[in-house]
Order: sequence, then structure tokens, then C-alpha cells
Amino acid sequence: MKRFILAVLALALVAVAGCDSGPKEALKVGSMSPLTGPYAADGNDIANGVRTAIEVTQQAGGLPGFESIQLIAEDTACDPRQAVAAANKLINEGVVAVVGAYCSSSTIPASETLDQEGVVMITPASTNEKVTERGLKNMFRTCGRDDDQSIAAIKFMTDYLKAKTLFIIDDKTTYSQGLADSVEKKAAAAGIDVLGHEHVNQGDKDFSAVLTKAKEANPDVLYMSMQNSATGSLLIIQARRMGLKCAAIGQDAVYHPQFIEIAKDAAEGVYLTFGYIDKDKPAYKKFLDAYTAKYGEPGAYSAYAYDSAMALFEAIKMAKGKTDAATISANLKQLTMEGASKKMDYLENGDSGSNYIIRKVENGQFINFWDPQTGKVFEK
Amino acid sequence: MDYFLQQLINGVTLGGIYALIALGYTMVYGIIQLINFAHGEFFAAGGYIGVIFITWLSAQGLHPYVCLGLSLLLSMLYCALLAMAVEKVAYKPLRYASRLSVLLSALGMSIFLQNGLMLTQGVYDKPYPTDLTQGGFAMGGVVVSYMQIIILVLTTVLLIGLNAMVFKTRIGKAMRATAQDKVMSGLVGINSSTVISFTFAIGAALAAAAGIMVGFYYGSVNYTMGFVPGIKAFAAAVLGGIGNITGAMVGGLIIGMVEIFAAGYLSSEYKDVFAFIILIAVLYFMPTGIMGENVDDTRV
Repeated sequence: MKRFILAVLALALVAVAGCDSGPKEALKVGSMSPLTGPYAADGNDIANGVRTAIEVTQQAGGLPGFESIQLIAEDTACDPRQAVAAANKLINEGVVAVVGAYCSSSTIPASETLDQEGVVMITPASTNEKVTERGLKNMFRTCGRDDDQSIAAIKFMTDYLKAKTLFIIDDKTTYSQGLADSVEKKAAAAGIDVLGHEHVNQGDKDFSAVLTKAKEANPDVLYMSMQNSATGSLLIIQARRMGLKCAAIGQDAVYHPQFIEIAKDAAEGVYLTFGYIDKDKPAYKKFLDAYTAKYGEPGAYSAYAYDSAMALFEAIKMAKGKTDAATISANLKQLTMEGASKKMDYLENGDSGSNYIIRKVENGQFINFWDPQTGKVFEK
Repeated sequence: MDYFLQQLINGVTLGGIYALIALGYTMVYGIIQLINFAHGEFFAAGGYIGVIFITWLSAQGLHPYVCLGLSLLLSMLYCALLAMAVEKVAYKPLRYASRLSVLLSALGMSIFLQNGLMLTQGVYDKPYPTDLTQGGFAMGGVVVSYMQIIILVLTTVLLIGLNAMVFKTRIGKAMRATAQDKVMSGLVGINSSTVISFTFAIGAALAAAAGIMVGFYYGSVNYTMGFVPGIKAFAAAVLGGIGNITGAMVGGLIIGMVEIFAAGYLSSEYKDVFAFIILIAVLYFMPTGIMGENVDDTRV
């Protein structure tokens, strides 16, 4: 009897397996972002952006040669060790490519692991220069670079604000400190006096001590390089409460609807550097409709994650079913397409160019404010 | 001078918050010698429940300060009940197990509660209606916000109330007796289970109060907020002499001030380093903390 049951079970297994291994199979893609921990908001925005791209592609008929697209979303918690573990897990799952990660300090080590195993990685959000400066063949970046971002910020300080003095606060991550250091160096070169560069710890809520220092220094500009928008809003609330009335500039990680939601009045008038997104073009509207229907208002990096995944699917379509890293990478470098966030056109090193502009918070909204390319204020 | 005074006010405010959280650690340790790692989570839960009540109460059109007061009471009550439940589920069955098992149970409870908050409340920070309590005044170059005054007054009131309860009331006497000797206090008719449960409740209520004040002061709460202040408050409790209530207050204030002054005068990067150097230095010369008493092992 026992044998009989075993035989039946074995047959059932074969039958189940048989269903799976039809002529078409699912395309496995991975995403990596902090789904838990303090940066979970941005991390979920990224995973949802990829999910939206999959839904849009499948509704449009899917990818030829594949039955469906399966997403394996891994959590990095913005921790380099966990990011490498997630990368290994995705390799074992047999994904063809990975969209992620968020924190540069996760993307850099994880990409080393993925590259060795021939898995393409497209980061929608890691802006640290080193991400694409290591000669990896399979590393792509859909967002801009911090060296360009700091140039945009400095240009705004000298040309528009006519600032003479600057005070910098960062929270000591590869990304936030890297950007802050780059701003400090370029400010000095541009003739701006850096009155102070202070660091706070991750997980801190109280910035009163460094802000008192900043107030004592009385700078023209306060530059906030924080790893996420919630920390940025805590900083600006306390700065304004302390009576620090100078211009405040944040960066792409502080740029998020949550920043205004938490900081409210204190957010008014804050400037932020972020890539230019034309919200009137059809590609963006298509993304926005699909995204909001399921996941609510898009976060800062949702559109970049969506574009990364869409570019990946396009590259796989061009490869006619081939999914090896060399083919996908070559196709990614070849393709040009109109994305939701920007025109997708990857360069030889995997970057896709930066287009940082200055945005400003006005009446509880982010508005496009100043274009460093032309040195002009955007028309309303 | 203004600079010093401003940093002093910053330090006292932060220290007051640490002191409120540290009290919970120290009370629980005093009574059952358990380091309750889930305590930071009561602080976070208090912050969340607070914002839920405040949003609801201000939608009813009540005056901002009435909202603040009511939601403070309600979330203190909620966290007190939560702590009693946690004690019942995670610690009471292990009353006679080895201390290590209880400690592990506490760690597990902390992870459980933190993830519970994440799953029920979401990963995004929850904004507080800070416009309710905005504003402040300047004395010379020193800016004092109303919220800082509220925090200081409320902390002082709660601390005086707690002291009165522990040293002047029957339940306070029962708590002290149970802390001294569980078996003996049981023999004279004190129900130690009730007393322990009550101690958890009081500690968590104070943490909830701190959670709400942090929400108003800093403008938002999130589900990971219990971790770092929890560690700092634990350090404060140890610094003051764990098990000693006045010690926890003193320890909280010292940690808060050292942190702020280290950031303000030395380097913000190393502020935690200085706070913990002070802790190590004090423990080196006074192993039981500033106000801790020498107890021989037979008591525990």
C-alpha cells in the first residue's frame, strides 16, 4: 500500500513538473531594495515600479518566448551584507537580471557578486559615482550621478542664490557623505566659503546640536545630504524651529512626497536637486496611470525603477529569447526609448546621463524651479 | 553664552525623553532582573497610537491642547495594557526559567512588535499634526519652543508622580517589597504577579508618553524609532544604576546632555562615542552605576 501511495505521489510530481516545463516558461527577474528598515519607503517604491513595468508589459501581450514574467523581490535593508546575500539568492533563483538597489552602499558590493555570475544589474536610484566607475560589464544606471548632482547644486548657489557661505550636514552613508564631500570640494573651488561640514548618525532624530552650530555659523545656504526624505524633514523642521532662516538645499534622496507631508510648513521654500521628469509626456502618463491604480502616489524613484525594468524587457525582446548577460548588456547599450522619467539611452559605461534640475517646494508641491543648463527659472 | 544656553536646552529636552524611557527599563529590572528589550517598542507603539488618537480627536473639533492631553492619556493606557499582555505571554511563563531564556524571549518580543508595527502601520513615516503645537519664543539668541517646555514640564510631573507612587502608596510599597524579596513578600500576602504586571504597565505608560512627545517634537514617528532611543535609554538606566528610579532620571539627563554637548563642542560624528565613553568610565569606577547600591547575589 505504502509503495502504491509513493508511486502515485511520484506520478503526481512528474505531472506537476510536466506542466511547468512546457515550451514556454516564465522569465525570472529580480529586484533588490530596502523593503524593511528606515529606507523601506523608497525600497517599496522601487519594487512597485518594477511590478508596474511587469503589469504594463504583460497587458501589452507579454514578452515573446516567455509565458509570463516573474518578479523575485529581495530585501537589502540598505545593509551591504544583506545586499550580497540577496544577490546570491537571486543568482540561485536563476534570474536573468536585477533592478536595484537603492543605497549605493548596497549596490556596489551586490553588483560585484552579480557581475561575476553574469547577471545584469540596473540601478534606478544609486547615484554614487563608483557604481559605474569600476569597469563592470553588466552594470547599468537609470538615474543621474552625484558628481553631476553636486555641480548642479553649486551652480544654483553661485548663479541664482549668489551665496558666499555654506554649511553642510550629511548622515554618513556611501551616498550621502560622498555627495556632501563632493559639494564641499566644488564649493571651495567655486569660491564659496564652507563654514562647517557636520555628520550625524543614521537613526538619529535629534539634530539640535549641529543645527545650533549651523545657526552660530550663520551661512547663506544649508546643504542637507540625508539618506532619506523622512530624515530630511526632521532636519528642516528643527532648523526652521531653531530660527535658521537661510536657503536650504536638499538632494535626490530627500526628494519624496513624504518630505512635504511630514515637514509641512517647514518644507516651504526648500530647494532640491533631482533629475528632470517631463510629467506631461505620454510615456509618463501611461506609467502614472498604471502605478496609481495599484500602488498610490509614486515615490521619488518609482518612475526610474519602472524605466529600468521596461528597458530590460525591451532588451530581452530585441534578443529574441536569448537571456545571457552579454546579449542583454549589448542590447541595453544599443536601445533608445522614450521612458517615463527620461529618454533611455545607456552609454558605454552603463550610465544614462544626468539631467539634474533644481526643484522647489511651493504651496505644498514640488515645482520645477531652475535649470542649471540654461541658468533660467522655469516658466510656470 | 547664547550658544551654550541653547545647547543646554537641547540637551535637557533630549535627556528628559531618555529619562522617561529609561525608567521603564530600570523598574522592570529592579523587580524581576530582566532587561526588557521590547521596551523601546512600547515607546514606538505609544507614538503611533498617539497620532491615531490625535487625528481622530482633532477631527472631532477639540482644542489642540485638549487633543494632546487626551491622546496622551489614551495612548499611555493602551501601552500599559499592551505591556501587561506582553508580560503575560512572553515573560510570565518563564518566571522560573533561566535568565537567558527570558532575555531571548524579550528580544523575540521586540522583533515581533517592531514588525507588527510595520505590517499594520506601513513602512512610511507617519506625520504628526505639528501645527497644533507650533511656535516658541526667543530670549536673546536662545530659541525655546513650546514643545520643549511641554516636554520638560510633563517629564517633571510624571517623574514626581512616579516617585510619589513608589514611595508613598500601598502599591508602591508592594513594588519595593517584591523587588527586595519575591518569596518573602509573597509570604506576607503580596500578590507578586499583580505587582510585576503593574510595574510593566507603568513603565510602558511612561514610554508611551515619551513616544507622543517625540512625535510632536520631531514631527513624525516610524516603526524603527524604538531601537536607537531604546539602546540609549538602556545605557542611561545602567549609568544611573539599574534598578534605581532616581538613577534612571539622572542617567537619562547625563546621556542626553553629553550627546548634545559632544556634538556641539567636539564632533557630531563622535557624539555617541562620547556618551558611551562616559558610561564605561562611570562603570569602571562605580560598577553599580551612579546611584546603584551594592547588592549581594543572594538577593537575586
